[in-house]
Amino acid sequence: MTRPVHIVLVYQSLLGIYGDRGNATVLTKRLQWRGIENTLTVAEPGDPLPDDADLYLLGGGEDGAQTTAVRLLTEEGTLHRAAERGSVVFGVCAGYQILGTTFTVGEMDRVMPGLGLLDVSTRRGTTRAVGEVLTRLRPLPGDVSPLAGDDALVTGFENHGGFTTLGADALPLADVEIGIGNGDATRTEGAIQGSVIGTYPHGPVLARNPALADFLLETALGHRLDPLPRPEIDKLRQERIGTIRRSSRG
Amino acid sequence: MGPMASTLDRPGTPLRLTPASRLRLAAAVGAGRMAATVSRLTGKGSGASIRGQVMTRIDPDALAKLLSGRRIAAVSGTNGKTTTTHLLAAAIRAGLAPARADRIVTNADGANLHYGIASALSQAPTADIAVLETDERVVADMIRLGRPEVLVLLNFSRDQLDRNHEIKKLARSWRDALEAAGEDGPVVVGNAEEPLVVWAAQTAKQVVWVDTASTWQEDATMCPACGAILIRRNPDPASGDPGDWDCPGCDLTEPAASIRVENGQIIDQRGIAHDPQLQVPGGFNVGNAACALAAAQLMGVSTEEALAGMRTVHSPAGRFATATFGTTTARLLLAKNPAGWHEALPLLGTSTVVLAIDAVAADGRDLSWMWDVDYEQLAGKDIIATGPRAQDLAVRLAYAEVPCRVVPDLSEALAGHPDPVDVLSTYTPFQKLRKLGGLA
Ligand SMILES: [Zn+2]
Repeated sequence: MTRPVHIVLVYQSLLGIYGDRGNATVLTKRLQWRGIENTLTVAEPGDPLPDDADLYLLGGGEDGAQTTAVRLLTEEGTLHRAAERGSVVFGVCAGYQILGTTFTVGEMDRVMPGLGLLDVSTRRGTTRAVGEVLTRLRPLPGDVSPLAGDDALVTGFENHGGFTTLGADALPLADVEIGIGNGDATRTEGAIQGSVIGTYPHGPVLARNPALADFLLETALGHRLDPLPRPEIDKLRQERIGTIRRSSRG
Repeated sequence: MGPMASTLDRPGTPLRLTPASRLRLAAAVGAGRMAATVSRLTGKGSGASIRGQVMTRIDPDALAKLLSGRRIAAVSGTNGKTTTTHLLAAAIRAGLAPARADRIVTNADGANLHYGIASALSQAPTADIAVLETDERVVADMIRLGRPEVLVLLNFSRDQLDRNHEIKKLARSWRDALEAAGEDGPVVVGNAEEPLVVWAAQTAKQVVWVDTASTWQEDATMCPACGAILIRRNPDPASGDPGDWDCPGCDLTEPAASIRVENGQIIDQRGIAHDPQLQVPGGFNVGNAACALAAAQLMGVSTEEALAGMRTVHSPAGRFATATFGTTTARLLLAKNPAGWHEALPLLGTSTVVLAIDAVAADGRDLSWMWDVDYEQLAGKDIIATGPRAQDLAVRLAYAEVPCRVVPDLSEALAGHPDPVDVLSTYTPFQKLRKLGGLA
């Protein structure tokens, strides 16, 4: 790719209450540190989304924000075209839920249509899932050398009332070791369908899980990236993984 | 002065309880006092919470009884309520004759939940004016049980989302309580820049609007009434003023303020500018003082008296206080959420800065908010990350390209600095640092 990698942070002010904008910071820095040119567009409600980007990021938000975001994104259609041409669309928490076919809002569990980019549906669970979560990434589609051992572990903080069920076209992103994740009987977390990926953990998730960050970049770029050793991230991962495992035993 | 002009001389209405009810409260207060003493003697803390807990167990109506009959000014909001409570209490104290300073009671230690408020009140049975810092989750009960005369609503931003999942739900609880109280409800002093505050206060019988010149607007995107995206009118990028918000979908709009902050000055209702000359730093504290001034006026304090009183406040509940750690001198600053960090980071003036992080319940267990804070502005400073979650900050700072040293132990991080250092901390390490530094 000769032109800069283009990343779009979608509606930060609506879908950004959990610090998920950090995912954009992480992706742009990991490109920059490798000497790969990139641009970041922060698109706010009312702005048109760029139609030529490689990666679109959606974060967490409240019920009302979800509904508004779906309405605006459906009207303007960029994300649908992006998914169709194979650009990466990555949604976290509420951002994950709205990528699905339906989700519920409010105390009355009103069923709302999602963007329909992931074959998943979300409804309010029996309890709210709040706390540290640890999952193990499944071998990702098309990945010739899947992550192994601790590298495949995803650590984060989940905070969601919706539980998500996968349809036939979506694959689970990970299996839950500790925590709730999708909250379905199969103990899975997140979903992937083509280049569209949804997941629950904040942290933000890409800051705590550089392998997942690089997977998104590699999918967008279509080639492998050089390793990027960062001892402070390794140390944080060891700390978080160790802590959650110890506390779940206690 | 507004239509509800009051005089500070007016006493509260003495509590009228049946003998049985009075006895029960007395027993509760006595038991609470004993529990607090035990807690203090055994080094378990100030005892404010345990005192309230024991009282409530013996007399479930203790808080309601302790509140009733007093003239109450309550202060709530996500950020600044402790400082604003101190400013308001000082303003009212300045309006009282020195011999009558015992008329006022306040929960100065920041214990702002049911138990903490009951505890403070129980220790001042004769004080007929109560200035009460009130947690956002307690505001509805405060309105219902305490019938405050004045309610200051400072701001509403994301905070501890692991506990308060939807900030709008909290705002709705305020709105509903104000509506239910009707004409018996408080006069609200409201921050006009906060759409959630404006929406919540729509049901109040009367509001005095304050423009605090805040620059944090991340939590003011959607109209709380109709869900439309708010627009901004007349922004001024040069001063950082985001402009007045307005809803294109309904009639909710930023109300015209009667007291405003402009260039660090407080402009009163008559358009007269006052240099607040506060001892607490930061533009956001001028905004807090403007709200406290409006509340003090409503309680019957003159503008001049109120300002004079507020100028005596220097380290509310240890915030901005200078502590010593061995040979190190350190100023302690507290920030509890991204809006708080946004306000506090520019105040860090020393070349070495200590940032202390934890994520237990009182801090909020999810540290993702760090990524909404512009740590990039710390470039060039010598940063020490400390506290149990220092490593999370180290990763955030690495991505901000701000190098830091990680020293998880607080004492170690504060040891041996030849020059004064500023320390900015989340809640739990802040309380530990106050103790370590001999302030609590
Ligand atoms: Zn509206």
